[in-house]
Order: sequence, then C-alpha cells, then structure tokens
Amino acid sequence: MDKILNYKDEIRKAMSLLAQDERVLFIGQSTLHPDVTPLFESLQDVPLSKRIELPVAEEMQMGMTLGLSLEGYIPVSVYPRVDFLMLAMNQLVNHLDKVEEMSCGRFKPKVIIRALVGSTKPLYPGPQHCQDHTKALKSLLTNINVVRLTNAERIVPAYRRALESKRSSILIELMDLYRWVPPYQK
Amino acid sequence: MTKEDLIAFEDEVAALFLDKKIRAAVHLSRGNEEPLLEIFKGVKPEDWVFSTHRSHYHALLKGISPEWLKQEILEGRSISIFNKEHHFFSSAIVGGCLPIALGVALAIKRKGESRHAWCFVGDMASHTGIFHECTKYAENFRLPITFVIEDNGLSVNTPTRETWGINEPTSPIGEVHTLKEWHHEVLDTWVMGKVLYYRYERGFPHSGTGQWIKF
Repeated sequence: MDKILNYKDEIRKAMSLLAQDERVLFIGQSTLHPDVTPLFESLQDVPLSKRIELPVAEEMQMGMTLGLSLEGYIPVSVYPRVDFLMLAMNQLVNHLDKVEEMSCGRFKPKVIIRALVGSTKPLYPGPQHCQDHTKALKSLLTNINVVRLTNAERIVPAYRRALESKRSSILIELMDLYRWVPPYQK
Repeated sequence: MTKEDLIAFEDEVAALFLDKKIRAAVHLSRGNEEPLLEIFKGVKPEDWVFSTHRSHYHALLKGISPEWLKQEILEGRSISIFNKEHHFFSSAIVGGCLPIALGVALAIKRKGESRHAWCFVGDMASHTGIFHECTKYAENFRLPITFVIEDNGLSVNTPTRETWGINEPTSPIGEVHTLKEWHHEVLDTWVMGKVLYYRYERGFPHSGTGQWIKF
C-alpha cells in the first residue's frame, strides 16, 4: 500500500527542492521570523542566506519579486494569506502578468508566488483572513499559472513544474490541510 | 545626443502622429532636455533605467538608437518602451516601476556589483505610498538606486499640488537633492538610495500634440 503523504511535510520537501536551485531566493514575511502561519516552519531546510524577510508592504514585495527576476533570480515570493495578496494586485496584474506582452517577449519574468488560504479550524480568523480567490486570479491573469494545491500528492510535482516552467506561477496552499495527519501517524 | 537632437526626435514623432502614421497614444517630451542631459552623465551603459509612459528622452539618452525607438513608436508602443540590451524598462502605471527598480537594486547589491538602477517618476507618483515605501527601503538598506522626480506639476491634467493641498513641490522621505547640488565627482558618496528632483514646464500635452483624441 502506498504511503499517505502529509501536506505539511510535502510543502517542506518542495521548498527544499526549490532551494537547491542556486537562482532561487525566498522573499516575504515569515521567512526568517516565525508567526502563526506554517510558512516559517516550511522553510526550515532552506539556508538562511536564501531568505529575505520583508516589511509588510505587499505591493512593494511583488514589484521587488519582479525586479529580482530581471536580474536572473527566481524569487519565491511568500504571502501568508491570499487576502494579503490582494494588496499586490497592481504589480501582479498590471506588471508581472503584462511585461512579456508589453515588451514583445523581450522580458519574460519568471517568479513563483506562494499564497495561503487561511485555516478556519480550530480558530475562525474572520472574513479577511481565509478568502480563497483562486478562481478570480485565474480569470484575471493571462500569463501566470495559478495552481490550487488540493492534496499532498500534488505539491512536489506542482512546485517542480513551477521551477521548470518558463512562466510565472502562483501556488495556492490550503492551510486547513496543513493540520491533516495521516491515520497511521495519529 | 544633444538638446537639439532630442527636440528634433520628438518633433519628428509629432509630425508622424499628426500625419496619422502612429495609431496609438504617444507621450512626447519637451522642456526637460537640460536636466536630463545632466543626469544621464552619471548613467553607465550597464546601469538599468526605469521609465514612465513618457520615455523617449530617457531611452535616447540611455543609448537606444533613434531608429529602433522610432520603429517601436510607429508600431504603437510609445507608451511601453522596453529594451533588454540597454537594460531599459518602463511602466505606464503611476509609480509602477518603483518597486521593480528596487528589486533590481537589491539583486545588484546581493551580487556585489557596481551597477546602478535609475528610476524616473512624476511628481504625482512622488506622493504615493509606494514611493515612500521604496525610497525608505532603498535608503535604509543603501541599495544602488537613484530615484528621479520629474516635476511638471501635473498627472495627466490633474494638478498635483492643488489636489494634495500643498505648496511644496514634493515631500518624499529622506534627502532630496536638486540638480544644482548635484556634482558628479561626489556621485558615489551620496547617490545611494537618494532622490533627485527637477522641475520643468511640460512642452507637450499629456498625450499627443494638443489636438485631443479621447482614448
């Protein structure tokens, strides 16, 4: 019988895989300082030198992510909640998504964005901390892959594809699934 | 590239536009040749330049050939000039390039290289939140970037000072240097993360040549 994969472990494994690429940097909140989300924990196998903790400035973060990619880095830009990603929409929709078209393909920025849908159990975080805008993002974006990670088996392959893809990707992680533990581990 | 060369280029584009050879928006420069010629004395070929919707002068002074630029404009891309070879990038959204330029500057610093990013913005952009965030971050982390505020007092036709209720030209965080204070021999000592400012009167309207086309 195949082993049942654990969501949290697979995320950590995927981050470790990304970190092996010398072009990859992790940027955003909770990359160096732990908080209530599982982000910090998911980066435990990533060298500190590859992590850049940013102030809470979501649009600035998205623009910096794009800028780093212009210099050859593959930034993994971390947003602790999809709700917070909404503050970065100018850079996401008007810039990252449009640069290739505006530049006639001369610039092809490639970044990876992690955004988490906040968990609703055991504590309900309120309507500003658990929104899932996957469908809206897919509608808005024409040149960026949007992938919702609905089970543990999809995680490592999805991040590997994001790393190998020529396009930018947004991976939506579901925080409620982080808490799920396979029966044999209970 | 001289002041006369810059003016002649824009005059040619204006004539092409009036002759219906350009079926897209054009944003022409006029009146800021001298400050730009001064600023670009400090811009090296390997540096990045981040521009706005009004980018023809910036592009020419960065070293992009007039022929290449003219072709882009004829193909309807006056508003979005991008040239990878010359590290030239633009955005037609107010303040759009600010954090992108900041990310490039962070990358240059991480690599330990001596290249520099130059980010041009209008006066309205200098009052936005993103401008304050980016100049603060650049200043505090001593990133190799210079922001240049080009103050013509207007954003499209909205008067910046009237709508913000201010008299001063601008109020960014950190030091602002007017061009009179700018001396190339001390470039490396203060230019990191600082803001340059110059003021001029717009010689052309926001878009086109003065004969209004709504778009």
